[in-house]
Amino acid sequence: MSLASFLPAPTQLSQDQLEAEERSRVQRSQSTALVSTRREPPPYGFRKSWVPRALEDFGDGGAFPEIHVAQFPLEMGRKKRTSNALAVQVDAEGKIKYDAIARQGQSKDKVIFSKYTDMLPKEVLNEDDPELQKPDEEAVNELTEKTRAALEKQVSQKIAAAMPVRAADKLAPAQYIRYTPSQQGLAFNSGAKQRVIRMVEMQKDAMEPPRFKINKKIPRGPPSPPAPVMHSPSRKMTVKEQQEWKIPPCISNWKNAKGYTIPLDKRLAADGRGLQTVHINENFAKLAEALYIADRKAREAVEMRAQVEKKMAQKEKEKKEEKLRELAKMARDRRAGIKAHGDKGGEDTEVRERDEIRHERRKERQHDRNISRAAPDKRSKLQRDQDRDISELIALGQPNPRTSSEAQYDQRLFNQNKGMDSGFAGGEDEIYNVYDQPFRGGRDMAQNIYRPSKNADKDMYGDDLDTLMQSSRFVPDREFSGADHGPRRDGPVQFEEDPFGLDKFLEEAKQHGGSKRASTSGRSKDYDHEKKRRKE
Amino acid sequence: MFVLLQDVQKHSVHTLVFRSLKRTHDMFVSDHAKAVALDDQSYKMKMAVKMRAEYKPVLHMPVLKEGRERGPLHASDPYGQLGYPLPGALPHYLVTGTHPYPSAPGVALTAETQMQKMPFLNSGLLPRKAPTMPKPQWHPPWKLYRVISGHLGWVRSIAVEPGNQWFVTGSADRTIKIWDLASGKLKLSLTGHISTVRGVAVSTRSPYLFSCGEDKQVKCWDLEYNKVIRHYHGHLSAVYDLDLHPTIDVLVTCSRDATARVWDIRSKANVHTLSGHTNTVATVKCQSAEPQVVTGSHDTTIRLWDLVAGKTRATLTNHKKSVRALVLHPRQYTFASGSPDNIKQWKCPDGNFIQNLSGHNAIINTLAVNSDGVLVSGADNGTIHMWDWRTGYNFQRIHAAVQPGSLDSESGIFACVFDQSESRLITAEADKTIKVYKEDDTATEESHPVNWKPEILKRKRF
Repeated sequence: MSLASFLPAPTQLSQDQLEAEERSRVQRSQSTALVSTRREPPPYGFRKSWVPRALEDFGDGGAFPEIHVAQFPLEMGRKKRTSNALAVQVDAEGKIKYDAIARQGQSKDKVIFSKYTDMLPKEVLNEDDPELQKPDEEAVNELTEKTRAALEKQVSQKIAAAMPVRAADKLAPAQYIRYTPSQQGLAFNSGAKQRVIRMVEMQKDAMEPPRFKINKKIPRGPPSPPAPVMHSPSRKMTVKEQQEWKIPPCISNWKNAKGYTIPLDKRLAADGRGLQTVHINENFAKLAEALYIADRKAREAVEMRAQVEKKMAQKEKEKKEEKLRELAKMARDRRAGIKAHGDKGGEDTEVRERDEIRHERRKERQHDRNISRAAPDKRSKLQRDQDRDISELIALGQPNPRTSSEAQYDQRLFNQNKGMDSGFAGGEDEIYNVYDQPFRGGRDMAQNIYRPSKNADKDMYGDDLDTLMQSSRFVPDREFSGADHGPRRDGPVQFEEDPFGLDKFLEEAKQHGGSKRASTSGRSKDYDHEKKRRKE
Repeated sequence: MFVLLQDVQKHSVHTLVFRSLKRTHDMFVSDHAKAVALDDQSYKMKMAVKMRAEYKPVLHMPVLKEGRERGPLHASDPYGQLGYPLPGALPHYLVTGTHPYPSAPGVALTAETQMQKMPFLNSGLLPRKAPTMPKPQWHPPWKLYRVISGHLGWVRSIAVEPGNQWFVTGSADRTIKIWDLASGKLKLSLTGHISTVRGVAVSTRSPYLFSCGEDKQVKCWDLEYNKVIRHYHGHLSAVYDLDLHPTIDVLVTCSRDATARVWDIRSKANVHTLSGHTNTVATVKCQSAEPQVVTGSHDTTIRLWDLVAGKTRATLTNHKKSVRALVLHPRQYTFASGSPDNIKQWKCPDGNFIQNLSGHNAIINTLAVNSDGVLVSGADNGTIHMWDWRTGYNFQRIHAAVQPGSLDSESGIFACVFDQSESRLITAEADKTIKVYKEDDTATEESHPVNWKPEILKRKRF
């Protein structure tokens, strides 16, 4: 008679009882299987020759210390050589996934091309093929909207950082969630099957400063795993091709920064000397010859023309001379004829003398007029005085005009209608335009220059400088009165009389000067003298 | 069993062989060329056994009426090949049963089953046939009809206005010039950049012009006032190209600092920095369908980006040399990329490789595509190749002469673009001119025949 028969059945079951119930339930379900798959180790005491080999031999326990064999229950304790080798995976159709390596860090649905067939060109499809058509409008619009919304969110986040603090947004905090936990039972959740959770968003402190420091620079994370290379490796370069791309070092004709000593042939290598023969066109020679010939011909022509002209001129001159001679002759004849007429009338000598004088004067005047007409270079007296230099005027004693005493202005100032930038003359250095008129005119200078009067040296010598100069009181070598006349000295050295007459001989030789005709030279001098006298 | 031995005659091996030969000869000499005649009974038995052994579970299935009709009419291939030779000369195996699949033994043949083609035809598994090359579409050749000079430096970029009235060019002389499309006269010159202007784009949604240059500047010009109104600051090095998103107010620029940046037009904020390339990003294109941003770089890869997350969606590493040019097909869901080794065509959205267009062995600076399927590739040595988009047939090669006064080495094409009517091709060149091409109207299929010699073995080198 146990206590349990009296008491009513318990409503709540304890943990141990629950476990026992579960175990019995499991055992009952397992008993329908044909073969029991559990392999239990033999109980303690019956393990003499038993060695656990497989994982199931351990049951749900650990290693057996009394069995002296290395045991790894639950694979614990084995030295694992960590390798990053991927386990071979197989896809749904049973084919090995060889691109598992290429897809290591990425999601399953990322597009990665790694098969050979991805590299092969596909069949050329018709244009209307549905595969090649763009997705329809609605799909595109939907995508657009989604993208726009996402981008807006991003932009607003970025801009919000710059915007000032506003009032906190009110979020409707009334979300209720019904939750069914996976661990069910009487002990959990007081036996209830589901739970209701009230979800509220935590209020953000509007005045809170930023929580995290974003001014730190951290190194970039690793990039995404590289995509498989879908082309054949670059072709190997042949030696010939490599030689084609060889660039020779630069040897400048001007710079040598490191001061290298480079042989001359390398220095001039880039010049291209000796690589090309210089060809000169033969037309150059032809041109030179043609020019030479033309030059010669031109010179000849010019000479000929000059000669012809000279001849013509000479002829003309002769003709003119003839004419003049004739005219002169005629005039002479006329004059002689007139004179002959004049001689016949007027018998008085005085009248004749007066006539002669008048005649001479007229002739002189005519002569002058003729000269001035024929030889205009010979200037008249007036003209000569005008062109004289200051020093000449002074020497001749010409009268000088008076200067005006009033102030003189630069005549260039008056009557100007030129602009503001005129007068500079472009910065020319050579012109000398400081004054507009000569200083005092050439004629003025002469009168302003110092002219000593006759008695300039009055204070020095007294009044009569001339009488003083002509006095003959002071004479060198004057003897006393009554003294003997010594030999008159001709020069500082006096020679004695020479017996042989060499002096004479030498003097004569000097006079003639090598010319045999002594008489002509003497005559020429006399002739010139005469001519001069006659003229004046 | 030893009793039989007595009956067997002992012959020599030679005799035995000879006898066997003779018998064979007698049996087959008359019809040695003929195939072995099928014995009906043995065949029936064989078929019955086979059916029961292998197809027993499906024998009860109903006949597919549609399958029977479809067979002889056309092969269900999406390739549009009407001339595809159906294997009609197959022997008609006698099938017992009314079903397309062999049915239970003993059922008599019917006429319907006799008409059947091979069963595996209807199941859609076509036998692998020799790849037949499709014939390329004929396009009239293009000829130069206008040369516009006015820039003082290389003309680096071109964009055409959505209304097709004018087009903009950016040049190495730091100016942006706007030209009238119909007459080719200069309308406006904009200055503001301090270095070469590498990219220009005209917005379709607002009266803005965007330009980017080697001076790290990205400028937004208001075309109503002809002034700069916004700068997008953030690039660390020369900006090489830019593109506008067709539906969202977003600008994408790519630069020598190996990034592409996504800017919000109105707020000038740098929304995403698309990093991942390891060398200069040379070109970028935007579209409204996925992938929304495609970039090509000097590290020989093309990346397709997810604009929402700002992450790479796929990386295409098929090119061996720098990718300097990208173009999106206006009608199809495909795009093409150009590099000195090949021009490759890809399918959106994942970038599946379609085909190679090889033959233009020069640095390809630019690509442009027509709605008619004309692909233009412009190279750094001044040559232009015209391709048929679908087949990859190069139908024309143009090398325009340089402007008088320029050296012959100064020929190169930096940008080319079709106008909005797609009848004029405008190219920006290195001899400081802009050249306009149009289709030659006088050419016909006979005067310029299609000389299509496809390489059967397309699996050459990649």
